Amino acid sequence: MSNEETFPSSAALGASSSRTDAWQRSGKVVQMAAIGFALVWSLAPVYWMLSTSLKTELEATRLDPTLWPHEPTLANYIGLGGGTLPFVSFFFNTVVSCFLTALIAVVVATPAAYALSRAQFRLRTSIGYTVLIVRMLPMIVLLAPLYLLLLNAQLLDSLSGLVVGFTTFGLPFAVWMMKSFIDAVPIEVEEAARVDGYPRWQVLLRVVVPLVFPGILTTGTFVFMEAWNNLIYPLTFITSLDKQTLPAALVLTFTGQFKTDWGGMMAAATITTLPLMIAFFAVQRSMVRGLTSGAVAGA
Amino acid sequence: MSNTAVMENQKPVRRASGRVPWLDWMVMPTLAVLALVVGYPVVYTLMLSVQDYNLLDIVPGGYVGAGNYSSLFSDPVFWTALYNTAVYTFGSVFVSALLGLIFALLLDNLAGPQFRAVRALLLVPWAVPFVVVAFLFRYMYMQNGGIVNEMLLWSGLIDHPVPWLNNAALAMPAVMVANIWAMAPFFFLLLSAALSGIPNEVIESARVDRARTWSMIWHIKLPFLRNPLIVSSLLMIIANFNDFAKIWAMTQGGPGFSTTTLVVYVYRLAFENFEFGYASATGVIWLLLLLVFAVAYVRALRMN
Amino acid sequence: MTSIHSCRRVSALFATSALAMAAVVTAATAQEKITLTFANWASAEAATRPGIEKVIADFEAANPNIEIESEAISFSEIARQLVLRVRSGNPPDVSQLAGNDTFLLAATGKLEPLDEYVARLDVELTGLEDLRLDSKLIALPWNHAPAGLWYNKAIMEEAGLDPENPPKTIDELMEAMAAVKESQPDVIPLGLDTTNRAFSMSSNWPWMRTFGAQPVGEGATGAESPEMKAYLQWMRDLAQKGYIDPGRKIGEFRPLAAQDKVAFHWDQVLLQGVIQSTNGMSDEEFYEHWGVAAMPTGPGGESHSFEGGHQLVMFADSEKKEAAWKFMQYLATSPDAIANYTVSYNSSLPPLQEAPEALSEELDTPIFNAFRERIIPTVAPQPYGPDFAAASTAVMAGVQQAVTGTEPIDDIAASVQSQLDRQ
Repeated sequence: MSNEETFPSSAALGASSSRTDAWQRSGKVVQMAAIGFALVWSLAPVYWMLSTSLKTELEATRLDPTLWPHEPTLANYIGLGGGTLPFVSFFFNTVVSCFLTALIAVVVATPAAYALSRAQFRLRTSIGYTVLIVRMLPMIVLLAPLYLLLLNAQLLDSLSGLVVGFTTFGLPFAVWMMKSFIDAVPIEVEEAARVDGYPRWQVLLRVVVPLVFPGILTTGTFVFMEAWNNLIYPLTFITSLDKQTLPAALVLTFTGQFKTDWGGMMAAATITTLPLMIAFFAVQRSMVRGLTSGAVAGA
Repeated sequence: MSNTAVMENQKPVRRASGRVPWLDWMVMPTLAVLALVVGYPVVYTLMLSVQDYNLLDIVPGGYVGAGNYSSLFSDPVFWTALYNTAVYTFGSVFVSALLGLIFALLLDNLAGPQFRAVRALLLVPWAVPFVVVAFLFRYMYMQNGGIVNEMLLWSGLIDHPVPWLNNAALAMPAVMVANIWAMAPFFFLLLSAALSGIPNEVIESARVDRARTWSMIWHIKLPFLRNPLIVSSLLMIIANFNDFAKIWAMTQGGPGFSTTTLVVYVYRLAFENFEFGYASATGVIWLLLLLVFAVAYVRALRMN
Repeated sequence: MTSIHSCRRVSALFATSALAMAAVVTAATAQEKITLTFANWASAEAATRPGIEKVIADFEAANPNIEIESEAISFSEIARQLVLRVRSGNPPDVSQLAGNDTFLLAATGKLEPLDEYVARLDVELTGLEDLRLDSKLIALPWNHAPAGLWYNKAIMEEAGLDPENPPKTIDELMEAMAAVKESQPDVIPLGLDTTNRAFSMSSNWPWMRTFGAQPVGEGATGAESPEMKAYLQWMRDLAQKGYIDPGRKIGEFRPLAAQDKVAFHWDQVLLQGVIQSTNGMSDEEFYEHWGVAAMPTGPGGESHSFEGGHQLVMFADSEKKEAAWKFMQYLATSPDAIANYTVSYNSSLPPLQEAPEALSEELDTPIFNAFRERIIPTVAPQPYGPDFAAASTAVMAGVQQAVTGTEPIDDIAASVQSQLDRQ
């Protein structure tokens, strides 16, 4: 790593000889080749998913795979929409439960994050760390007791029960992330509102929330993404197929007792991926800020 | 907990003053919800872990004290699962961080719309849901008819189809590759952001000193990346400890027990054999292990 | 501990908003209607969903006072879901089950014994003896789907084998597979499910029995018996010679079989339906192309098979047992249901001693006859029960280690045994 003689600097050396130019050029070529390789590595599996989703069932299961669909067909996608399985409701269930989780997490977490960031109270530090540690608990350990809890609350096999489950990891994360966004708001901004004698919750709503709104969106998106990725809760808490979420439905319906349908699987996988991708690219920039606040800025 | 420490506490807090309350009403909703959906289940798990409780038994199980724990420590599968969890977690995180670092350094200082597009494309795997990653790679890894073997046969690197997911020695690395593919962009995202945060004057002064590319990376950029690397690695270590979807959808912990991590083992114990008591004991041990990491994480945050 | 009361209140906060959005549509039912809940995976799979829906609609038309609420739960999840629901006091009235899952549910003590109900039937049922627990009948056989050794006649001919003479012993099978491998390297010689789940234990159990091994159950000789080691060694040989494709589920071989990529396939009677729906073969073409035989015999000289058919169970907590029985009886024994679902969509055999008049022709096919006459008599009972899942995890892990690893067989057998001893 620390071998300094391998590549000359990109800064032009005083007497620019043709040799350094060649060095520079070859360095550039290597760099571009590496970037090309990184792109192939990242995109090839995604291409394979898309290409398989456009193949007929027989083509998708061939022992000598074809590199592109020879008879491209939308049958797999049409099969999802108009087929016998309620794919539209899987999609709807996932969107609704993940969106509700994100909404509840942000609404409950923001005041707590504000208090942890600004207020003076004795348990502040310990609560801050508690929230952080809760975030790290292995979810599966909570599975059996949560099941019994939802059972007593009559929330099994309902989207609300799922939202309760998702909240276990969504809320602590939201508190922690919102706190880092609020931390970044200079306290002077609030002074003026304080002087006008507004109560604290008014200051939060009128001054702080508008300022950290991108952070709120980012936090919400992150919670949404995590809920979207979750498999274990829907598998356990949802019993009827028509209330199932997309990830669990993928596991449940494509490993049927009759056959494994890879083309349909990849079409469903593509549909499962799209919303997450859109959400991710919409907020990726502020997401970095939230995740690394302090870690980067404070370095 | 970082740079704010400077801002707050602008007024010295009087010690032992009755004026500082214990709690603030604004944190109450969060505390209440967490107590219900996390606190209660954790307490319940502790209670279950000292019982011989099988869901199938008509008569509920009785108190067995440390019985579950002692049979746990003599259970070879538990140790295998613990070892696999460590390999899966640390191996994946290490390689992903390295890969993300390489991507970030490759693209550092490359401006322009075409490189913005490249950056966006490199982030794509991070937005693919875990279950989809698992099924996609399972399909690509198939011994006969999988594209991975097809490509390797075509290029002459192998002369027989390799059973990636069905060989006790290869299954874990194969699952890890899928995991690394999905996780590396996260590191790339954070490290790119950290690199762009390096003050220009630092880079410029190094340029003036004629620093070469490697020494620039080694002496200037990497020190700036230390903290983001620590924080993001810990974040991902915790995420991987909990990673159920990828392994379950790819191998169900097989072949043999070669990809059985703790999360898979606990799931099988609790929801295939219905041994709630034994599964809870495993969960408790695991809770303790994670707490160690949680403390390390908190420390790392404090250092910033 | 948090009291349930406060749980309810906080949950209510979540619930109100969520329920408002998640519109749970419950069909308005007339007062005098009886609603039965029927948990099944037939409606969870695209291949069988239209069939089961039609049969249910027919039943409702014939019994206007009964309404069936079908709950689609996937095959791999149904036992888990039902155990949890039985424990939480909200089981369905009737459920579809198969294999060990039936006995797993019976272990909860919450299945209604069916002897009295079956005694009322005016038809003779088959396969009841394997569905008893403590001499009580715990389930009604819905269909029979035993496994046989399917052989692809075209591939056999290509390999220079006699397509009308499938292998009768393990040795003949090995020779035939060698010939297939030699002549058609891209064909999988033997389709065998080596995944780690209770179903694949059921599927591999007859092969273990053929070698004389009996790792678990009544009269078990353990995992370290010479017979079990011989079986594990044989599995390893199969893998090393490239005769099997490890890690594929039985269902993942079926599309390949439909493309003539599997020479011999250990699969259930329903394979015919799956292949025809995949590649559009006509019945005649199929019978020319495929045959089915009993499992090749091993050292003991006996064939074995397993019953992969489905059963119907009634839950003891059901308050509508008579209606439930009416529905179960219709599904399993009425000629309409057999024609519209069992034989067509499920391509399995009805659980009747004698085929109903109306169906005698449909049930008279070379495949059905081979199963009825030669394979069903070889079905070997399996060590089902609450410990079966844990035992299959241990045994199948050992099979996978033998197939995919290089550890000595003795060590693998010893580690399987130590896992079995833990239970």
